[in-house]
Amino acid sequence: MTFLSALLAAEPAHEAVKAAAHAAPAAAKSTGPLGDIMETFSRFGVDKPHLIVQLINFTILAFVLYRFAIKPALGQLEERIRQAEQLQVDRASAEAQLAAAQKNAEAKLVAASDEAAKILAEARNSAKQAVEAAKSEAQAAQIDVIAKATAAIEADRVKMMNEVRGEISRLVVDTAAKVLEQNLDDSQRGRLNEAAVKQLAR
Amino acid sequence: MSAASVRAEAKRLLALSLEGGVVSADLVGAVLAELTKSRPAHQLRPLLRAYLANIRRELARGEARIEHAGPLASTEADAIAAHFSRLLGRTVRPVARRNDALLAGFRVRVGDDVTDLTASLRLANLAKSLS
Repeated sequence: MTFLSALLAAEPAHEAVKAAAHAAPAAAKSTGPLGDIMETFSRFGVDKPHLIVQLINFTILAFVLYRFAIKPALGQLEERIRQAEQLQVDRASAEAQLAAAQKNAEAKLVAASDEAAKILAEARNSAKQAVEAAKSEAQAAQIDVIAKATAAIEADRVKMMNEVRGEISRLVVDTAAKVLEQNLDDSQRGRLNEAAVKQLAR
Repeated sequence: MSAASVRAEAKRLLALSLEGGVVSADLVGAVLAELTKSRPAHQLRPLLRAYLANIRRELARGEARIEHAGPLASTEADAIAAHFSRLLGRTVRPVARRNDALLAGFRVRVGDDVTDLTASLRLANLAKSLS
């Protein structure tokens, strides 16, 4: 209850008297619908000053309430709403960033997997080529060794055959020479010399 | 004296020692006597050595050195020498020597030329062809 309402409540009789004093002439004076409305309000105890005071009182109360209670509450509410909206925006942004990060991570994983598969395939190819090269080299070396061994064996065989042939020839010639030396007598040698002289003359 | 001049002098002395294309013992003796008188000792030795080599070579050119296995009749030796005289266009006399290691046949050396008709050479060629 405001100060004005308390003041009005402290002097009801005086006001009622004054209202009655004013009401009589007013009633006498009132004409038309407005006068009827005022008369109706007067019958329900609503007089004009009192109504004005109540209106002022209500206006002050409404202003004070609005200024010190409703407006801060509305501000806080708006701030909360704004914060909630900002949170929602941040959350959406964070979710988008998370999705992008997940997508990026998945893409990187896929790329890394592809790269790993590629490196693995290259390593397998390299290993296969190295094995093939080593195999070819070993085969070439084997062929070379076999060829050299065959050539050496053949050379040894030919050398041995030549040595054997030379030895046999030497033995045959030595034997023939000894046989001739032991078996040829002077008459035979003389005939051979005579034949040689005839051969020289031809 | 240089080696070339020694060889030239020895060649000239050899020409002085020939009589009818044959080495003459008298002319050789005269050349040696003249040399010992006219040349100092330090020049004489190389010159005499070269002269001796030329004389030997010239004598070898005029000899058919016959190595033979078994007996070789003098007629056969003369026939051999006559063959080489005709072949070389100069007189060649036979010098025979027996060598039974040749097995059979003979080998003739005239100067630097060698003709071998021995059984030992045939056997050596056979051994070479077999080996």
